[in-house]
Amino acid sequence: MTSPDSATNPRSSSGAPGGDAPLLATRALSKTFGGLKAVDAVDLELRQGEILGVIGPNGAGKTTLFSLIAGSIAPTSGEVQLRGWKVSGRPAYKLVRAGVVRTHQIVRPFPNLTVAENVTVGAIHGAGRAPGPARERAAEVLAFVDLADRARDLPGTLTLAGRKRLELARALAIVPEVLLLDEVVAGVNPAEAMRLAGLIRRIRDERGVSIVMIEHVMPAVMSLSDRIVVLDHGKKIAEGAPAEVAADPLVIEAYFGKGAGGARA
Amino acid sequence: MRALLGARAAIAFAVVVAALALLPVVLDLSPYDRNLLTLAFLMIAGSLAWNWMGGYLGQVSFGHAAMFGIGGFVAARLMMEPSPMPPLLAWLLGGVAAGVFSLGAHPTLRLRGPYFSIATIGVGEASRLVFTWWEDFTGGASGLSLPIDIALKARLYWWALGLAALVVIASFLLRRSAFGLQLLAIKADVDAAADVGVNATFSQDVVMVLSGAVVGLTGALYASFFAFIEPSDMFGFDRSIAFVLMSVIGGVGTILGPALGAIVFVLLRQFLLASYPQLYLGLYGVLLILIILFEPLGLTGLGLRALRAWQRRRPHGGAPRTVAAP
Repeated sequence: MTSPDSATNPRSSSGAPGGDAPLLATRALSKTFGGLKAVDAVDLELRQGEILGVIGPNGAGKTTLFSLIAGSIAPTSGEVQLRGWKVSGRPAYKLVRAGVVRTHQIVRPFPNLTVAENVTVGAIHGAGRAPGPARERAAEVLAFVDLADRARDLPGTLTLAGRKRLELARALAIVPEVLLLDEVVAGVNPAEAMRLAGLIRRIRDERGVSIVMIEHVMPAVMSLSDRIVVLDHGKKIAEGAPAEVAADPLVIEAYFGKGAGGARA
Repeated sequence: MRALLGARAAIAFAVVVAALALLPVVLDLSPYDRNLLTLAFLMIAGSLAWNWMGGYLGQVSFGHAAMFGIGGFVAARLMMEPSPMPPLLAWLLGGVAAGVFSLGAHPTLRLRGPYFSIATIGVGEASRLVFTWWEDFTGGASGLSLPIDIALKARLYWWALGLAALVVIASFLLRRSAFGLQLLAIKADVDAAADVGVNATFSQDVVMVLSGAVVGLTGALYASFFAFIEPSDMFGFDRSIAFVLMSVIGGVGTILGPALGAIVFVLLRQFLLASYPQLYLGLYGVLLILIILFEPLGLTGLGLRALRAWQRRRPHGGAPRTVAAP
């Protein structure tokens, strides 16, 4: 669906061909701000159709990791690979066109465009440049996130949960292969959180989109993720199935401090 | 409903253009009125083209006099001896030259908001100084006289009307296109636009070239219309301010607004210059402040308010939930 066009084809860059390569991977990905190692030699892999959770205490480097993958900032060293082809160093809009799409922790709708227009901007790259198909695509995605009746409203009139669904719709309209979700469930009431979590599962199940999600709401990330990666001080300290990660002494220590892991063990 | 509204607007537009085209034939317009209308058509074209940058893209340029001047002087030189070109070709080449020149401002596109505006003042003023100094090309402070015959001068009314009509149609198409939607997204949040696949730098370059080329074309027709041009008028800072003012008076980002603003500007300028030449710029300043404080959408905003008030008074006049820019 989103076969990258010739300008953004990862094959045009150097790198080894990847028949069995994971959909998305980072290789020793690092980012240093001054003396601070925000992301420190992180390796992760996302397989086709997987939901990968990324958790960690505040300041662990989760959002920086997303910005590196999405091309919003360039890595200090290491690389990001899409199907085995190096894509790091490319501007964000090219990664979007190659199928890697992010949402933001703090939602950023275009306030001067209607809900439908917001989604149509995304659909321009998901459904081709003609405005007709883009509008149809936008309408379909808006119905999927249950915002069809608000299409003509401005985003400012939506609740926070509504704006989060709008942000999901805008990302989906691009027809992503990989969706990077930054705290979609956080900050809304429990009923809305359930609804958003259900939506994320349907995005994977019904649309076949592979997902990397940063999430603080533990029930959501534990139930949705196939695998979880834990970051602390920029380093990957654990990786595995949700139950394994939750029982890992290193993870408990990162969240609750030294001694807490020993007390549980 | 929306299509119907569009069709009605298109018919109204066609009727207005046809009426204006027939006006000099039907009525015996005085040269004064005819000149005023021609000038208004040119300013409508220029102000709408400025609005592609300032309104759609949200990059407020205070340097569009540079493109206006380049278009004017290139066309003027091409129409003069030793090898005078046909006017239409000279005008078009003037527009092309201005479009190419505006690409030189590419580095300023990294800036946004007031920083961009300040940089454009620099570009505009630098152009004015360079072209005033370059006497071989612009005639320096004494300017250039163009060989314009009476017949061409008379036809310029229709050329200017045609240009204004084309730019209105282009503005409408641009606003409705996928590309126009991307521009509005860039205006709102340039980083979020990149996150939905918009190549902001390229889009801004395209708009800058188009806007510069049309303003250059306007300058080229303006040069022929006055048959005499000088750098201080073509490249002057108040020329740049005029492009900003016209859109702001009428309503930035709309189509009707900059067109209305241009008409008001031309009439007001004529009146003020005749009656209160010393107050002329000061009054514009006051007007600008009042509009920005109380009605950021200018005349268009006032019109929309009146329309909504009128709809509220009617029992079944359901006001639209959102305001689409006209």
